[in-house]
Amino acid sequence: MYGNLDVSVSGLIAQRTRLNTIAANIANRDAILDADGNYSPYRRRFTVFEAGNPNASSRAGREQGVHVASIELDQSELMKRWEPDSPYAQPPGTPDAGYVYYPNIDPATEMVDGLDAQRAYEANIAAAEATKAIVAQALRLLS
Amino acid sequence: MFIDGLVNSDSTPVLEAAAQFAARRQGVLVHNIANFSTPQFQQKTLSVEAFQDRLSEAVEDRRKRFGGNRGDLQIRDSQEVRSVRDASGQIRLEVTPGTPSGNILFHDRNNRDLERSMADLAETVASFRVATDLFRTRMQLLQSAISERV
Repeated sequence: MYGNLDVSVSGLIAQRTRLNTIAANIANRDAILDADGNYSPYRRRFTVFEAGNPNASSRAGREQGVHVASIELDQSELMKRWEPDSPYAQPPGTPDAGYVYYPNIDPATEMVDGLDAQRAYEANIAAAEATKAIVAQALRLLS
Repeated sequence: MFIDGLVNSDSTPVLEAAAQFAARRQGVLVHNIANFSTPQFQQKTLSVEAFQDRLSEAVEDRRKRFGGNRGDLQIRDSQEVRSVRDASGQIRLEVTPGTPSGNILFHDRNNRDLERSMADLAETVASFRVATDLFRTRMQLLQSAISERV
C-alpha cells in the first residue's frame, strides 16, 4: 500500500517539474541575453514524461509511477520585433535587418499548460488522499 | 485446526479477497493518475465485475464442496487476477491490468479520463472500507465469543 503513495508522489514531482518549466518560460518571456550577457534569445522549454520511475527502490516501484524523461528546447521559430535602434538588432544586409529576435514563448499557451499541470497535481493529491484513507482503514483493523 | 476453522470460515476469506482486490485496484488507478500527462500512455483497468463473478463462483463452489460455509476459498484465475500462495502459505492476489480501448485519444495519444478515474478511486476506497469494516465486525464477534468461553 505504501508503494501506491510513492506512485502518487512521483506524479506530484513530475507535475511540479512541469510547473517549474512553465514558470521559467513565463519569467524569461523577454530574455534575449543568456546568463553570461551574450545575445542568445531564451528558447521555450517543455517537459517530456515517461511512465515508470527509475529512482524507485523496488522492481514493482520502478514499473509504476511516472518521471520526467527530459526537458527539451522548443526549436520553433523565434519571435521578431522591429527595434532598429536596439544594439541587438540584426545588422543591415541580413534577411531580418532591424529586427530583434525574442523568445518563442506564447503566454496563453503557457498559462493553459500551467492550469493543466495544476489540475493533474491536484488529481495526484486526491489519489494520495485515497491511499491514505485505505491505509488508515487497514490500520484500524489492529485496534 | 481450531484456529484455522475460526478464521477461515464464513465470510472471512471472501472479505479478505475483496479487500485485497480493492488494494490492488487502487494501485492501478494511482498509476493511471500519475500518468495523466504521459504521451503514449494507455490507461489500465481491472474489471470489478469480472472479479466479483469469480468471487461469487468461488463461494458457490465452496458451498458445493464442503456443504456449508467452511473450508478454503478457491478463486479461479482470470487473465487479470491470479491468486498466488506465498512462502508463508498466505494467498495473495496478483493482478495484470488490462488496457481498454475506451475513451478518446488526446493529441499526446493518451486516453486519460479524469472523471472516471476519480469516481473509480472513490469507489475503491469505499469498497475497501466496507470489506475491512465487515472484517473487523467479524473479528469482534470472534473475540467476544472467545472471551465468553475462557
